[in-house]
Amino acid sequence: MAGFLRTEAGKGLALSAPASLYVGLLVAAPLGILVAYSFWTQTYVEIDKTPSWANYLEAATDPLVRHLMLRSILIAAAVTAATVALAYPIAYFIAFRTHRKTLWLLLITIPFWSSYLLRVFSWKLILGFNGVMNSALISLGMIDEPLTFLLYNEFAVVLTLAHAWAPFAILPIYVSLQKIDRSLLEAATDLGCSKLERFVRVTLPLTVPGIIAASLIIFIPTVGDYVTPSLVGGSQGKMVANLIQVQFGPANNWPLGATLSLVAMASVGFVAVLFVILATALGRRIR
Amino acid sequence: MTRQNIIEISGVEKRFGSFIAVRDLNLSLKEGEFFSLLGPSGCGKTTALRMIAGFQDHDAGTIRIDGQDMAQIPANKRPTNMVFQSYAIFPHLNVGDNVAFGLRKLNLGKAETDARVAEALEMVELGGLQSRKATELSGGQRQRVALARALVMRPKVLLLDEPLSALDKNLREAMQFEMRRLQQKLGITFVMVTHDQYEAMTMSDRIGVMFKGQLKQVDKPEVLYARPCSREVAAFIGGMNFLDASVTAKAEGKLQAQVQGFGPLAIDVNPNVTRRGTKLLTGIRPEQLEISAKKPEGYDGYLQGTVTNAAFYGENVHYHVTAAGVPQPIAVSVPNYFHTVDHQQGDPVWLGVQNASVIDLGAREA
Repeated sequence: MAGFLRTEAGKGLALSAPASLYVGLLVAAPLGILVAYSFWTQTYVEIDKTPSWANYLEAATDPLVRHLMLRSILIAAAVTAATVALAYPIAYFIAFRTHRKTLWLLLITIPFWSSYLLRVFSWKLILGFNGVMNSALISLGMIDEPLTFLLYNEFAVVLTLAHAWAPFAILPIYVSLQKIDRSLLEAATDLGCSKLERFVRVTLPLTVPGIIAASLIIFIPTVGDYVTPSLVGGSQGKMVANLIQVQFGPANNWPLGATLSLVAMASVGFVAVLFVILATALGRRIR
Repeated sequence: MTRQNIIEISGVEKRFGSFIAVRDLNLSLKEGEFFSLLGPSGCGKTTALRMIAGFQDHDAGTIRIDGQDMAQIPANKRPTNMVFQSYAIFPHLNVGDNVAFGLRKLNLGKAETDARVAEALEMVELGGLQSRKATELSGGQRQRVALARALVMRPKVLLLDEPLSALDKNLREAMQFEMRRLQQKLGITFVMVTHDQYEAMTMSDRIGVMFKGQLKQVDKPEVLYARPCSREVAAFIGGMNFLDASVTAKAEGKLQAQVQGFGPLAIDVNPNVTRRGTKLLTGIRPEQLEISAKKPEGYDGYLQGTVTNAAFYGENVHYHVTAAGVPQPIAVSVPNYFHTVDHQQGDPVWLGVQNASVIDLGAREA
């Protein structure tokens, strides 16, 4: 035994054992249970453990599931696009236009110093019927009645999440910008590029990995987000996670909840892979 | 057709805050010339090159390329192209697309672009490697791609920023010859920045030596070596023994002087030197001294001393010789004809020198 631990493979196994155990117990095992549940059926008080495709059939045919799934993906896509588009200029500024990089990076993480829930509630205060935005616009005389389209819809969800995720997009994009050898930019200029052409032909393609990383970090958890839509989303802003929560909570249908979770996971995975392939291919086309 | 001045720089100055990186730079380069800016790191040579390229504005003076004032012309519109020290090969593009990068702006059409890329790659002996990934290239290949990418633009002036410093010694020497051959074939003006005196001497038609932001001397390599204008230029290019001397008479372009250790010698007046006085500084190249156990015949000056150090360098042997009346050891370098180190530490030796080997470096500073 001691001899095996001294071999290269033994050392590797020993070193990875704690992490493997952790992942095994806390990711693989629950996932296995989830898969098992998804094939079972809820009968009033008990769970029928005979395997069946019934839940998957329901998930596939129920228009509500399809609708919420599609909306979740669209909202997540909108959040991702908005966050990345807003984060890129900030990351660019920190990487190229300032010498106080550490200070700026620190400032960007400041929102994290307060609770996520608190930040969502702040948006409720800002966007609400009697909120900051409406009061300000009324007292400025720009509107007569409070605007109602600010809160409790998809827009509010996108806005809140785009704000919350900003640092997650800024950091990977900043890292990929920071890695660019400045002489590459000079070489592009030297070969006749204007600043805009240089950005499109050199900077942008070299930051594709950063954009992909930022997009995945935001897109994947957003599809499954449940707090934000339930607080600021209203009925229009509900997402698939809210439906899953209902199955595990009030509806007490764990097997269907498990099925919905797995369907959501598979859809997210599919869209994410599609996105990576597309973004990489687009990046390669720029010459 | 007379050869035109392709670059004319007059009174150019560059400041970074209170630090003057380049001061009063005046330089004219002829068409088809291979010119090197040589100097230690931080002397302003790279700043000078970057001002020609347009990556840095100049604070005073004018830079003209092909007769046109460059003051209002941004880097991307100048008729220059650059080979960067790091080569700056675009990592997301393959070799062909790297070389075609600048051509795509010119809208030449696919056939013409492909033909010019192929021609440029042929020129640097990378023919057919268009689809090779940039990340799969060796250092020497990267250097060639950088060269092809700049030359394919057919610039009036090619700027090279320490182009060979990242290569190992053998590759560097091979590339020196190749770049010189390419430059002569294409007839493009090359302006190279380097801190390597041998690189500058083997490749250039003329060399400009810079110290502390100032261009001290511009000359052909052999003139620079034989007639340096000052102690710092003499010390930077090749090895040099500095010996004090006192002038006793001056006649017909010769200085009669009493040289430390070697006694009375007749030294050719160096026209590049400006400071004059009786307290003279002279220089003797280590390879111009004869070293022998017995007194050698036919020399104009002699010195008796003791070997304090003998080092075998392969192609030559270096000795340090100390002698009474000379404060610092005298360096001697002799070709290694017979694969032997003839004198050992502690051996008494004779040094011999010809009048013509003693370089007049003007009046001493103190």
